Amino acid sequence: MRDTHSTGAGLRTLSLWFALVAIIALFFADIFLYQPDPWIELSRIGTGMVTPYWPDISELAISALHTISFALLGVAVSACLGVLLAMWFHWRAVRVFSAVIRSVHEIFWGLLFMQVFGLSALTGLLAIIIPFSGIFAKVFADIFHQQPATAVNTMGQADRLSRFIYGWIPQAWPALSSYVRYRFECALRSSAILGFIGLPTLGFHLETAFRQGDYSEAAAVFWVFLLIIGTVRFWLYKRFLPFYVLAAIFLLPEMPPVNASFIWQFFTQDLWPVPLQQGDLSGTLSWYGRVVSDEVIPALIQTIAITQAALVLSGVLALMWYPFASRWLVGRFSLIGRFKLLVLRSVPELMLAYLFMLLFGPSALPAIFALALHNGGLIAFLLANHSEDAADTQRIDSASGVVRYFYQDLPQRYPAFLALLFYRWEVIMRESAIMGVLGIATLGFFIDSAFEEIRFDKAFFLILVAAMLNVVVDSVSRRVRRAAGLTTPRM
Amino acid sequence: MFQLSNASFSHGSLSVLHDITLDIVEGEKVALVGPSGAGKSSLLSLLWQQNPEQVALCPQESGLVNILSVYQNIYMGGLSRFSTLYNVLNLIRPWASRKRDIAAICQQLGLSDKLFVSPDKLSGGQRQRVALGRALYRQQPIFMGDEPVSSLDPEQGDSLLSEVLARHSTAIVAIHSPELAIKHFDRVIALQQGRVIGDWPTADISVATLEDVYRDA
Amino acid sequence: MKFRSVVAMVVALVASSMMSTAALAETFTFTAIPDADESRLNARFGKVADYLSEQLGVDVKYIPVKSYPAAITAFRNDQVQLAWFGGLSGVQARELVEGSEAIAQGYEDQFFKTYIIAHSSTGIEAADALQDSVKGKTFTFGSKGSTSGRLMPEFFIREHFEAAPDEIFSRVGFSGDHSRTIAQVQSGVFDLGAVNYSVWDTELKEGKIDTDKVKVIWTTPTYPDYQWTIRGDVDARYGEGFKQKVTDALLNMKDEDLLASFPRASFVPASNDDYAPIEATGKAIGLLD
Repeated sequence: MRDTHSTGAGLRTLSLWFALVAIIALFFADIFLYQPDPWIELSRIGTGMVTPYWPDISELAISALHTISFALLGVAVSACLGVLLAMWFHWRAVRVFSAVIRSVHEIFWGLLFMQVFGLSALTGLLAIIIPFSGIFAKVFADIFHQQPATAVNTMGQADRLSRFIYGWIPQAWPALSSYVRYRFECALRSSAILGFIGLPTLGFHLETAFRQGDYSEAAAVFWVFLLIIGTVRFWLYKRFLPFYVLAAIFLLPEMPPVNASFIWQFFTQDLWPVPLQQGDLSGTLSWYGRVVSDEVIPALIQTIAITQAALVLSGVLALMWYPFASRWLVGRFSLIGRFKLLVLRSVPELMLAYLFMLLFGPSALPAIFALALHNGGLIAFLLANHSEDAADTQRIDSASGVVRYFYQDLPQRYPAFLALLFYRWEVIMRESAIMGVLGIATLGFFIDSAFEEIRFDKAFFLILVAAMLNVVVDSVSRRVRRAAGLTTPRM
Repeated sequence: MFQLSNASFSHGSLSVLHDITLDIVEGEKVALVGPSGAGKSSLLSLLWQQNPEQVALCPQESGLVNILSVYQNIYMGGLSRFSTLYNVLNLIRPWASRKRDIAAICQQLGLSDKLFVSPDKLSGGQRQRVALGRALYRQQPIFMGDEPVSSLDPEQGDSLLSEVLARHSTAIVAIHSPELAIKHFDRVIALQQGRVIGDWPTADISVATLEDVYRDA
Repeated sequence: MKFRSVVAMVVALVASSMMSTAALAETFTFTAIPDADESRLNARFGKVADYLSEQLGVDVKYIPVKSYPAAITAFRNDQVQLAWFGGLSGVQARELVEGSEAIAQGYEDQFFKTYIIAHSSTGIEAADALQDSVKGKTFTFGSKGSTSGRLMPEFFIREHFEAAPDEIFSRVGFSGDHSRTIAQVQSGVFDLGAVNYSVWDTELKEGKIDTDKVKVIWTTPTYPDYQWTIRGDVDARYGEGFKQKVTDALLNMKDEDLLASFPRASFVPASNDDYAPIEATGKAIGLLD
């Protein structure tokens, strides 16, 4: 795949292959263009956005604090676990374990733990900690991998832990802490989104208000959320971190009692189909066979098709948008571009999908657009940062305007862009699975239905399928990145 | 053509150039010498700002775009001569006439077989030649270079430097080698710690004078 | 720094969970998802909790949930002892918790019904039965686990056409909510939708519906819907006769302000048997085993 002569030509070929796959995927995705009549609804949404209103400020403030608490504690714990996992990432078992735990979307972890711990702080924390630990493990391992080995080589035969504590971790510290900071923003989003399934974070109110068409109230919650995300760097100081973590512990919502017998029952009975528990082999096979043929196969096709299309569209949008958010490319207009990207990456995809559904009707199309807008916005934001950071090292006689973008910045950013996109691949896959709520038959649609029907055995099996799919995508992404010579970009 | 009177320049809080007074006229070939950190690069960028349109610049941070081909990297020198659309289309598919121009430059630089190789696959010396190629393709009367041949072997550096100087009527080049400075230039300006400590016609000095400049630092 | 914070966090988590376990032991907890207007649940149902607390003489707490499955889970895990369920979710919950009982339903829930609504562009007019012209249109249910938004309309549609919805309609969606079903059909995102009649009537009264764009084309026969379901072990835990006290308190709830939260005119007695038709329908459709 890698062109031996020109890196650019090699990356171009790779990009074109992905574009081709995306175009083919469109034929498999459940795409249909309807012509709805959305203007009443859209004008209500528009009016709501500019007339935010919330009757009870303290209620909003409490859920904002819960949102931050979950995110902060989730990141603090999972970053530590992630370092531990990353230390042993050369073991295949650890890599697979990390891939599996991060392959399940926070919402699905939340739904699973809710069956055991109810609507408690523990459910919310575990739903963030588990997938985030897997993500940290992977990225930290990549970061360690990219450090020069000179310092560690001087330590001789020191044990693994010492080599990390004295060598790798201090050496990689700037990269690690910058990634943790980035991840905190993601955790804020995850924490908010867990409100969609009932945890007392901002998403709880946002989802209710939006679903019920109270757009002014939805807007109030949304603007608060945006304010939190947009101002992280003004209030999250490293030296206050211990204080923040302590405060976050006390701000967690109270824990309802947890009944141990339910935990036992859940893991030993609820998660497994009845014929399996009875030792009925043919019944078990027919149960799994039915689920696979009726749900898994059609769902896999939709999930993969939507993912591939959304992946490429995210990339195209990111490349189109990021220059407008880079001071080096557009000067002070970059503030407008940055605000746009802040909004795009903060709006939960499910809401974007709903907006697009109003415009294009119900099909896979709104899901693809929503995933692409959100992920494109996120990648564009990271690329704009790279572009601004590189401004100091650019030649003083650099070209200006469009030519500056095409000849200088774009080619300079392109390897990092592709790496970011491939990192995002499994995330998009995860998120496309939850687009099922739009009635598009992705894996998430069937998982959601199984939870609604209180069929945890089926939900669990489908989650495992989603996890395996993610593990596969993750390993393909890893291979592609390696073959194309792409390294982990700064996030 | 270039004039500075009592110019100073600082990089953040760090003062880099003090009280520089200079006058460079058209047709002069000037070598800037001095130990590293003396302010040669800053002086070059100060001078460049006086007439950016007519200068072919070859700075130390070569500004090569790693994933574009050698062809595109050299073509970048000519961006300002063509329309935006022409430039963008060239990125998708090189224009035949431009390819001829640039292939000719590559031949001179000894890079004929590297036209569509990307610079990240080249050696340090080859990369420096690509950067020189970009400056040549600027096709401007004035050349400003910052150690433009430092990574080349002496023989090749020598011949490329004379080639570059022959193609520009005026040149200001920061250079580390006293021999090259004496051999190729009419005038030598020596810098130390941000000040001009000497400004001689080449005829008046010897290699030894310049070696002193480096030794004193 | 990190390590100490982690230890502190674990200690605090354990301590706080133990404290809250102790505090909650004697509290009677309930949950409710109204079929319309889920805003400010805490404030509205907090008043219901105060009323019950006064009537029952124990601490009563309300916890808000997002969805029927969440309510069922909370009920099963004994995090709530009383819940206001929809018809189907009540059946599901009672199946999971032995001894639990339906004790009261809303007056309206004795003869609940669903409207099938259509966007004007379909040109379908109201009639006494579903017309064949609905075939091939797009259709949205409400929430997947909703009785009035999914179970009963699906049952009547299957009965009428002798086919599954996805064979009849070109696309079947789940809007997740009655208000959203109306919004989506009104916007023409879906041609048709199934909506809880009381939500439709309320929104029509509030002027949220443009009848030039969306109208009711068919009304289902009636069926039983929402009910209060209580766990079987409450007498043992809160004192003999507690279940009866809860039932009486609900049936005697006359304050219109409280009733408006559900929204129901009053509560009337109910029993598990009242929901046998719902159970049968759930099994027929395959939503229940």
